[in-house]
Amino acid sequence: MNTDIPWNLLAPLIFIQLILSVVGLISLYKAESTRGPKWLWVIIILCGSLLGSVAYFVVGRKDVS
Amino acid sequence: MRQFGLFFRKEMLEMGRSYKWLWVPLVFLMLGVMQPIVTRFMPEILKSAGNMPKGMTITMEPPSGAEVMAQTLGQYNSVGLLILVLSLMTMISGERQSGVSQMIFSKPVSFVSYTAAKWMSMFSLITVSFVLGYAGAWYYTVQMIGSVDTGAALTAGGFYLLWMWFGGSLTLLASSLLNPAAGIAFVSLGMALMLTMASGWFPRYLAWSPGSLPQIYVNGLLEGQGMTEAAGALIISMLCILACFAAATYRVKLVKSKI
Amino acid sequence: MTPLLQVEGLTKRFKERTVVNGISFSVAEGSCAALLGPNGAGKTTTISMLAGLLQPTKGSIQLLHGGRPVQDHRPYIGYLPQMPVFYPWMSGKEFLSYTGELAGLTTREAALKTGEWLEAVGLGNEGKRKIGGYSGGMKQRLGLAQALIHRPKLLILDEPVSALDPAGRKDVLSLLRRIRRETTVLFSTHVLHDAEEICDEILMIKAGEIALQGSLEHIRKEYSEPVIRLEVGGEKASGEWLASVGSKAFVLQAEIAGTRAELTVADVEQASQDLMKDAVAHHVFFRKFESGQSTLEDLFMKVVQA
Repeated sequence: MNTDIPWNLLAPLIFIQLILSVVGLISLYKAESTRGPKWLWVIIILCGSLLGSVAYFVVGRKDVS
Repeated sequence: MRQFGLFFRKEMLEMGRSYKWLWVPLVFLMLGVMQPIVTRFMPEILKSAGNMPKGMTITMEPPSGAEVMAQTLGQYNSVGLLILVLSLMTMISGERQSGVSQMIFSKPVSFVSYTAAKWMSMFSLITVSFVLGYAGAWYYTVQMIGSVDTGAALTAGGFYLLWMWFGGSLTLLASSLLNPAAGIAFVSLGMALMLTMASGWFPRYLAWSPGSLPQIYVNGLLEGQGMTEAAGALIISMLCILACFAAATYRVKLVKSKI
Repeated sequence: MTPLLQVEGLTKRFKERTVVNGISFSVAEGSCAALLGPNGAGKTTTISMLAGLLQPTKGSIQLLHGGRPVQDHRPYIGYLPQMPVFYPWMSGKEFLSYTGELAGLTTREAALKTGEWLEAVGLGNEGKRKIGGYSGGMKQRLGLAQALIHRPKLLILDEPVSALDPAGRKDVLSLLRRIRRETTVLFSTHVLHDAEEICDEILMIKAGEIALQGSLEHIRKEYSEPVIRLEVGGEKASGEWLASVGSKAFVLQAEIAGTRAELTVADVEQASQDLMKDAVAHHVFFRKFESGQSTLEDLFMKVVQA
């Protein structure tokens, strides 16, 4: 059975993923300082997919409050 | 009322500038959509794993739409709650810790407005995130798996939303009581987990506790039952949310800053 | 002079430790009072209680408006904490109008006052920048603007200049001098010089208790004592003579360090003549001989070290 992959349904998922990574990177670029070195967060955001971006937003950002 | 508006606007602005308004709803959407997709492609994923003896076929009962929706809510109950707690935990403690609260509270402000704004913004973030994610899950389930009973899905969603509000209230209460972020996360997640487990162990005594809310939505989705306790649990949960709010307000008034 | 602030037996205990121990004082309307004391004397605790952030264990704080004590002090006070912290994600302008509106100004008033105060504290061009990028001095000035935006009757400042570099210190002090013409000011400091520069009332506290209080002038007059400051040559005879000088009958108190001495005496003229005579007899070589009055600094040191 060869199911053709419903790209029209998967595309939004990839798109969301992309937004999260891009926004994560932008915020990282603008941040004056982060918890841990910046280059490490770049790698985490790029390679860690969803969890990577979330980890950055939760742990990495310093100036949240 | 005017001060509530000011505080609320500030909370909204902060959530926007710290990107919370972007990433929390998006993560919830991802979580919601993931479950139907994974379920739909599970046979193929297993097949492509490939180390099955030739000729063996897996016969998997394709799950119903309702089951997939229930699984999605299960995801929200673990990962979703964790995300919420992590994104809300410093809402009160952060200002007390950093010292901004000293300047805010030396102004003639109302403590009820202050905490109420925290609560309302917490409700807003949770509601938007959850509704978006749940709607996504629903849409994908209908597209990929099968139909879902509208009434059951809405009630289940409603109960679940109340449960998340309760989880958020626990987090804010912990945030008013404790300073270290890790402690706040641990206490609020632990409380939520304990309540759920306790309701599983003593269903007769704790039928009305907020901890039974997750069970009620599963029952509602799968069997269309369990609604007799629902009204009780609903009211008790709302009262618990109010109690958390009152306790946090009292605490904020008592300890205005760390000196 | 009508009193604005009346403090009666103010006490704060943390568990077993008594940090502020029953202090009483009053601040007159239009005056500038300095809460002066060494580190750890209880200044910040006192200020926090006055600002309403800390509940006193005992005692009363009364703020009088039109001769009557008011229930809620907060509309009438402006407060600047020791290390003002802001929301780093807000701009200076946003924060000022936010606090202004919290203090009860209308949106329009707050916007107007924000512009005025940013200008007044010299942040006119920085208002749109995020506070996260401000320097310490800029934060201090923004904090001052925040404390004053609702035109409080009493301005309470906790160590407003201690953390600043000389330039920032000068800025803030001259700002305070301008403010005190319109507002009653109470501020804490551990630097006597800052207090002398702008204040007319002094409250010296030590270990949670008031050691000395009164107007600057009164304290200067009352507590200044005749002093003789000496410096002698390095040779043996002079050193020995200096060591013995403390035991002379007319010397009330002597502080001797190396070749220098500071002697508190009862009568300067008599004492200096006696000293001279004695010195000549012992072949002492003077480098310096000065008679005068003790300074506030001496008094402060005496209080602190006592």
